Amino acid sequence: MVPAATARQLWLGAHFPRLPLEALLPASTGAAATGITEVNDPRRTIVACNDRAARQGIIVGMGLNAALALVPGLALQERRPAAEAALLDRLARWALQFTPVVSVESPDALLAEVRGSLELFGGAIALCRRAQAGLQSRGLQAVVALAPTPRGALWLARAGLRIAVTRAGAMPGLAARLPLSCLRWPADVTEALAGLGIRTVAELLRLPRDGFARRFGAALLEELDEGLGRRREPRRRHLVAERFDEQLELPAAAGSTAGLEPAAAQLLRRLGAFLRARASGLSELRVDLLHRDRAPTRVRLGLTRPAGDETHLRALLRERLGQSRLPAPVTGLRFRSGVLLPLQLREAGLFEQGRAADPRATARLLERLRARLGPDLVFGVCPVPEHRPERAWRIAEPGGITPLPGHWPASRPARPLWMLVAPQPLEGWDGVLVTGPERIETGWWDGHDVRRDYYVALTRSGVRLWIFRERPPGQGWFLHGVFG
Amino acid sequence: MNGPLEELLRHPALWRGDSMADASTTIPTGFRRLDERLPGGGWPASTLIELLVPAPGVGELRLLVPALRALSAERPDAPRWLAWLAPPYLPYAPALADAGLDPAHSLVIRPRPGLDLLWAMEQALRSGACAAVLGWTSAASDQALRRLKLAAAEGQSLGFLFRPPCHHHESSPAALRLLLTARNNGLDIEILKSRGGSPARIDGLPIH
Repeated sequence: MVPAATARQLWLGAHFPRLPLEALLPASTGAAATGITEVNDPRRTIVACNDRAARQGIIVGMGLNAALALVPGLALQERRPAAEAALLDRLARWALQFTPVVSVESPDALLAEVRGSLELFGGAIALCRRAQAGLQSRGLQAVVALAPTPRGALWLARAGLRIAVTRAGAMPGLAARLPLSCLRWPADVTEALAGLGIRTVAELLRLPRDGFARRFGAALLEELDEGLGRRREPRRRHLVAERFDEQLELPAAAGSTAGLEPAAAQLLRRLGAFLRARASGLSELRVDLLHRDRAPTRVRLGLTRPAGDETHLRALLRERLGQSRLPAPVTGLRFRSGVLLPLQLREAGLFEQGRAADPRATARLLERLRARLGPDLVFGVCPVPEHRPERAWRIAEPGGITPLPGHWPASRPARPLWMLVAPQPLEGWDGVLVTGPERIETGWWDGHDVRRDYYVALTRSGVRLWIFRERPPGQGWFLHGVFG
Repeated sequence: MNGPLEELLRHPALWRGDSMADASTTIPTGFRRLDERLPGGGWPASTLIELLVPAPGVGELRLLVPALRALSAERPDAPRWLAWLAPPYLPYAPALADAGLDPAHSLVIRPRPGLDLLWAMEQALRSGACAAVLGWTSAASDQALRRLKLAAAEGQSLGFLFRPPCHHHESSPAALRLLLTARNNGLDIEILKSRGGSPARIDGLPIH
């Protein structure tokens, strides 16, 4: 018999239900009933608790008052998201033993694509067992699951199902066992579904698709399809949680930043080789300037886009070091990378080919500018096929498509690169007319007619203007544009 | 192995050293007499250039048009934007199109006077979304200019900062500083500072 087809990708999901607790306390502590509470939450909801607290009836999601009413002596600590993130990051690095493709799924899970590692580890079940045992031996409560889709693996792990699903198309059959909570959908959606009597993914799948999309949005439907493997999931962002950390002694102590350059160049070459081997870029480079008898001078180079190009990094570093004063002679350098980001997974070609646009970069830029400046102060422009100069353009969303100039005048005199929003009377004008007139007489059909003679003119200070006189002449000159 | 990493390692475009040497390349200005006086024969790439202009309109835009056109044509399938920060007048879409600059890739930003301008310019430069960023301001500290220059290097973008000539004698971290003066139908250009070059003067450069 032919075995069922194994999926092309297999994702190992690991969920850590007690991460807020484990990030704060060593696993062995368990003497007192302990609960971890949410920060910035008026109810101070319990987000994790130890076994002892659980045995006394504490449940995750309970408000603080209810918890204290139940267990008056409950020891409490506020969760520390930074500690949780750091622990998750350490676990991601641990998971690199299975595959180079590991990603952190904040706040409490990991994903690793392990299809290629199955044989090495003796098959799917052996690999899952090994991962599960490894995490437990580190004192963590973990649920490890395997599925053909990344989202599916997370669902299974969050649902507490320690199973390995390797067959493509097997996810829908498992849906009956999945509670809605494993989807991590917004509370209002889950509540609305509960109001319809829907508590499992299987029940959810019986709803008419179009009705569901109308009521809850197409995005959730797509998420569902991705988890079930009916729809290809857009490539997830991965984190290869590996770091570069190397140190170099200088042949002689350097008193100026210029003296650091040869050593910095050498470290950058090593860093470049390290990144190339991993096809990754940096998000951050921390440089310590080591001194003989004092703490190192720390310099941090933050990058908005992953970078791995030595030339680029060297230019940045030179710029940054040029700004720092050396408090003492430098005896050595230490370079540490931040998180590595695979370059292709962040817009292939963006970095390697130099100057291509990253659609996400433009979107981010617009968002950021509009968030601070207000939406009206950030805009694009678009030409409009129209003879009246002030109507031959309009404000448009940047990044759109410029209409083909099919209806534009075939040839007309040059237009200025700068335009005034409305023509302004020119007072005391005494420049010279360079070319003209260009007669523009149009718009009689919509009441906004113009009858003007336009000229290119030069002021005494050498500024090239686009000015006009109404026809019939007599009303003086108006400034309409500046050639720049 | 079928993982994305292997696809990645097979990717032929990865790590071609030649295409990454942005820091050392230049963009021809389109004006031979100016190119001859600039180190590398053109505008330096991925950095900050300062243009001291007595009044808006003396020819500073026409001076940049050929380079802006070249920058925007670098990647026809995914062109980057041209950002205008606090320009004295609005860029006129039909004229942009005439000049070969696709208006759809122009981004106009009119921040409130003050610090927002330098902030917005830094964002635009660093974002990687813009091939070039043009900004008009008078007030800018040495430190602010350094930040802009660094942002330009990080975002591989070219920043042009237009300031009045009263800043002539202040020190500036810009890689290139030019003082422009209109003369009849052309421009007098004084190269005040150029990284790796020496001060020079070009008189009566005809620009159209």
